[in-house]
Amino acid sequence: MIGSAPPSLLAPQGRMPALPAVSLAIALHAGVFAAAFVLPRLFDGPPPPRKPIIAHLVALGRPRDPRLLPRKESPPPSAASRPVPVPSTAAAPSAAPRKPEPSRSELMERALARATGKADPETREPADPERVGSASGSVEGTATTAEEGDAYFTAVHDAILEHYVVPSVISERERLYLAASVLAWIGPDGRILSHEFQKKSGNAFFDQALELAIQKTRLPPPPAGLARSLRDNGVLLNFRP
Amino acid sequence: MNLAFVLALTLAAVDRPVIDLSGGRIQPLPLAIAKPLGSQETGTAVEAVLAQDFERSGLFRLLDSASFLAPPDEGMTGIDYSKWQTVGAQALIKANCDASADVSCEMRLYDVARGQELLHGTYTAPRPALRLAAHRFGDDVVRFFTHEPGVFQTRIAWVRESESGKQVMVSDWDGFGVQPLTGASINLLPSWSPDGRMIAFTSFREGGGAHLYTVEVASRQVRSLIGLGDFATGASYSPDGSRLLFSASQNDNTDVYVAQADGSGARRITEARGIDISASWSPDGKRVAFVSERAGTPQIYTMAADGSDVRRLTFQGNYNQEPAWSPKGDLIAFSGRDEHRVFDLYTVAVDTGKVTRLTQNQGTNEKPAWAPNGRYLLFSSTRSGKRQVWMSQPDGSNQRLVTSEKVGAADPAWGPLPGK
Repeated sequence: MIGSAPPSLLAPQGRMPALPAVSLAIALHAGVFAAAFVLPRLFDGPPPPRKPIIAHLVALGRPRDPRLLPRKESPPPSAASRPVPVPSTAAAPSAAPRKPEPSRSELMERALARATGKADPETREPADPERVGSASGSVEGTATTAEEGDAYFTAVHDAILEHYVVPSVISERERLYLAASVLAWIGPDGRILSHEFQKKSGNAFFDQALELAIQKTRLPPPPAGLARSLRDNGVLLNFRP
Repeated sequence: MNLAFVLALTLAAVDRPVIDLSGGRIQPLPLAIAKPLGSQETGTAVEAVLAQDFERSGLFRLLDSASFLAPPDEGMTGIDYSKWQTVGAQALIKANCDASADVSCEMRLYDVARGQELLHGTYTAPRPALRLAAHRFGDDVVRFFTHEPGVFQTRIAWVRESESGKQVMVSDWDGFGVQPLTGASINLLPSWSPDGRMIAFTSFREGGGAHLYTVEVASRQVRSLIGLGDFATGASYSPDGSRLLFSASQNDNTDVYVAQADGSGARRITEARGIDISASWSPDGKRVAFVSERAGTPQIYTMAADGSDVRRLTFQGNYNQEPAWSPKGDLIAFSGRDEHRVFDLYTVAVDTGKVTRLTQNQGTNEKPAWAPNGRYLLFSSTRSGKRQVWMSQPDGSNQRLVTSEKVGAADPAWGPLPGK
């Protein structure tokens, strides 16, 4: 006796009617597109701007007894007063190996060195032997305490700051509320491709000083991970005196 | 997949970093003073005074005239601004003076970057007061940029030290035009009345202890003011000129007193044991800064003008003295002895107590005195070997010599703005 074979699992179980399936698909797509328009409005404007942590080199110096009167704030020593590195006596290899890509900290060091080297040595005071800082700090340091930061943006910050001049004819009172924003696009080679004022300060001499600072600034090339963003989206520079 | 793609597109926003920059270097504005037109004798003299005013002010950096590209006979109009821009000028001054008996100069200020005139006027003065005409235009330029009064027309008082004694002197703010006000007994600590007519000072002129006197600046007439106690010293006029602070010693206790401006009605306003001295008014006349030893070492304190609400302001260092309250009210300048036993200048922020050092490794620096617009400090310094009067900006920058006395100069006091 031949019994009836059980139905194959692969056998069609019956089809969903076409209309509900198409309707469901349309509804799903409509939902996705609706989400595309609705979700951004759920957030209040664009995402908050990313503010890099600007960390400065810790100055070489001695911690100071807080009971004593303070020392005068002193700038880093001029490039001329820094010790010149002595070349190694070890024989150089005949074929120079390919230079590795500079690290972010090296880029920052270079930017700082360039900036310091350009400074007019006559405007700098002699090094203060009792400078406040850390025993493990750097002679080029400008901060008294350390903080982890974003090396490239610190280099950008410091390079612009080197040329950032506020005309002394602007009164202290006016300096309290002056502010300007400049959007700058940076090329892969570190060149400032273009810039535009997003907000002027209202003081023509202050705005002119910012214009000059940006024109004079030379930046190190951005690291690969930032190059495209800085070229296409730029970096917003908020200036206050 | 569709969903993820669209959401990614939707939520991808411009990831633009933002860098905040503050603390730009405060630097003088590059300024060109063109070769004067008209009378060269008058024009050159006016130009020299203007140049010195602007240079000392720290507000402007004068450009070397040898670098100028514009023709020397370029007029007051039709200026080729590109030539001035090329040499780095951001502002330009031109003067055209008459060769008449009195000084009469048309003077103009231009904005080089925007190629426009900012200020112009005709300034006249009797020939002996030629410097005054230049100072007036200089003050107008300062007011244009800073919206604050300039100090080029102000006068200062200080003490000339000589073998025969110490004399109160007055001069222009830049040290020119020195005139004696007192004889050569021992006269110290001059203090201007707010209208600039009188100077109160401490003197040993009548033998015995030191007491307070006034001298009328115009007539040089000296009058006794206060002869209280074993000694009375360090007079300071209130901002409205109606009252006077001073210190006096009675029964071996030195305290701060307040009196009417004519010396009458003296009343003690400190009561602590030990020395309370060197009182200085706040610019609104409501509080007083002074030095007290009540905590064991001389420190800077403030109190209400009636002696109540005493607050200690300095806690660093063990010898702080000579407080001078800034005209803007935010800072008190003082001299303090550091761990090397050298006196230097400092400021302390009235609100936060933050102390900032202004001088260092430059001899002994003492007796700070504010300019009436709060932009400068006078002080005495021994950095050049002899004690002389110097000036600086309130952050200690732009330090410049004011007096060049044979023996020495000390105790500077800055007079009021003209017309006060």
